[in-house]
Amino acid sequence: MRTSPSPVLSVRNLGKRYGDFVAVDDLTFEIFAGEIFGLLGPNGAGKTSTIRILMDIFKADAGQVELLGRPPGDSRARVGYLPEERGLYRDQKVLEVLVYLARLKGTDPNIARRRVEQWLERVELQEWATKRVKELSRGMQQKVQFVASLIHDPDLLILDEPFQGLDPVNVELLKRLIRELVADGKTIVLSAHQMNLVEELCDRILLINRGRALLYGQLQQIKRDYAANVVRVRAENLPTDLPGVVRNERNGDISLLTLDGIGAQAFLAELVARHVVVESFEIASVPLNDIFVAVTQEPR
Amino acid sequence: MKKVLIIAWREYAVNVRRPGFIIMTLLVPLLGLISLFIATFFGGQASRTLVQIFPAGPRLTAVVDHSGRFMPILSEFQERYIPYQDETVARTALEHERVRRVLVIPSTYPQSEDVVVVTAASSFSGLEIEDSGALRRFFIAHLTQDMDDHILRERLADPFDARIENISGASQSPGGMLAGTLNFGFSYLLSILLIVTIFTSSGYLLRSVSEEKTSRMIEIILSSVTPQQLLAGKVLGMGTLGLTQVFVWTASAFSLGSGLVILLGVTLSLFARPEVFVLIVVFYILGFTVYAVLLGSLGALGADFRESQQISGVVTLIATIPMMLMWVFFSNPNAPLVRVLSWFPLTAPTMMMIRLAMTDVQWFDVAVSSTVLLVTIPLTVWLGAKVFRLGLLMYGKRPGILEIVQLLRQA
Repeated sequence: MRTSPSPVLSVRNLGKRYGDFVAVDDLTFEIFAGEIFGLLGPNGAGKTSTIRILMDIFKADAGQVELLGRPPGDSRARVGYLPEERGLYRDQKVLEVLVYLARLKGTDPNIARRRVEQWLERVELQEWATKRVKELSRGMQQKVQFVASLIHDPDLLILDEPFQGLDPVNVELLKRLIRELVADGKTIVLSAHQMNLVEELCDRILLINRGRALLYGQLQQIKRDYAANVVRVRAENLPTDLPGVVRNERNGDISLLTLDGIGAQAFLAELVARHVVVESFEIASVPLNDIFVAVTQEPR
Repeated sequence: MKKVLIIAWREYAVNVRRPGFIIMTLLVPLLGLISLFIATFFGGQASRTLVQIFPAGPRLTAVVDHSGRFMPILSEFQERYIPYQDETVARTALEHERVRRVLVIPSTYPQSEDVVVVTAASSFSGLEIEDSGALRRFFIAHLTQDMDDHILRERLADPFDARIENISGASQSPGGMLAGTLNFGFSYLLSILLIVTIFTSSGYLLRSVSEEKTSRMIEIILSSVTPQQLLAGKVLGMGTLGLTQVFVWTASAFSLGSGLVILLGVTLSLFARPEVFVLIVVFYILGFTVYAVLLGSLGALGADFRESQQISGVVTLIATIPMMLMWVFFSNPNAPLVRVLSWFPLTAPTMMMIRLAMTDVQWFDVAVSSTVLLVTIPLTVWLGAKVFRLGLLMYGKRPGILEIVQLLRQA
């Protein structure tokens, strides 16, 4: 586990309205140094509004935000942001645009130029540095935008839908780069709709809908909590009269058993007592995608 | 401040290379150059053609004096005026184009004012009219030649050179009516020129913001700088761009022969009224800042450049009201309507620049107008920052006025 007790970002009772529409409703969460934090939710859930408040683009109506120990807006140089609505100056050269954006974050132009060259090499675009942005494909532009968000070497990186429009090869490339950034000590906030990628990358998540927090905490724990009464058993001859089993989904020698009135430990003890040859036993976790759909479709 | 300068430099560097800016900047000197070319080449050719069509003939006047008051002809007129004893001989000389006209002064002169001027039927009548002043000087000089008071003689020949003063006691620039007209004309032209640069530069700012929004770049920028810094950087960059245009125009005026005369006129008028020049520059800066911030902010509202232009059209329309009220200025540059418009922030800069060029503006108006603008600028920057935030909410849809007002409160 990479989390540490010092919060990089602390949000308490955050609120934001647009007229009668409540975009963010009493949101409280923390993000710790060195973790990949998933900010999830359906379209219009309030993710982008929350991020814009963190970036000081919007002002909150209520609540407190502390970003790297300071109010939002005071830490711009230490935060990188890849917005969902993003673009680049199409008529300018890639190198020029990236150096300009780095300078706006306070990076020395010479250092910025060196970093741009290094990063373009890492995203396999080094030969495109002197080309105009409009000459790049959409996927290439996407990678340049990703580079733009971290060219000033930020401590915290907020990525809103970074995988949107990327082919599988570039998705893998981006995943690798995100992991490398975290290994270098960066903290990453990831907002994405690809739940499989979130499951792969994120340590903790916040799932919001209609501006309110629905799920918050360690991803694995959330998945376990959601599947607390389901166990996955691999055994050749599983008896059919086991206690507490209300549902049995069998696929070859693997059974997904939904339990009621008996804990997973007691159920395992029962199997051992009955001399069932158990090849594997685990508390089943539900795919994040299923949790997402189930939680966001629950009536309020 | 560093971020503001970085933004300003980028805005300048990008826009100074725009074809629209280059064409606009070069168009004025180019027009000057074309005028000069027409004036020197075609002008010369045209005058030669005119001479061929309307041969001027000798510029001599035959004088047949029956009164005896004009003989001998005074030395300063002898080059152009030739005495003839006989009218028939003089008329023959006219027919043979040895003289341009015949002046017959009867013996009844000066008791009777009637004289006869005979001209060739084919001659261009305009030349005679143009020369009537010279004929008048010929008569006055000869009639007063016996007067001892030479000062009075000079005054009779050239009675006055008026300096116009207004009721407040302040005089127009020294140098008489001609210099006054020159000063007015060139200051007025300078004001119009500066106003044009305000609108072109503000237009570029509108385009710049609109493009940043359309290209979805604005949110990335706003994650690095505050809306105020972004606006300030853009205004500074575009202001410098406007000054570049003024500089190029002025420099090209230097290099053009005819432009040199204009430039001397401008310089003369500015030297004559330095406080006016300073005030015009002050209102230029204030005006540019107000319009640029407003247009820049409104640029963030439209979904694309065309929409942004439509939204900001109202501001531009209001700002150009002074240009549409020329007839009021010319009749009275201190009329109540003109004064009221000088106190209104959207019309104050253009109104004051034109008024300052045309007349002596009351210090009260200068004070009120500049104070209003100084208060308006931070207000527009504050409002502009809100509009920027609001603009981010407006992707793909055009807001109504009520919606803008409502959302401005929440942005």
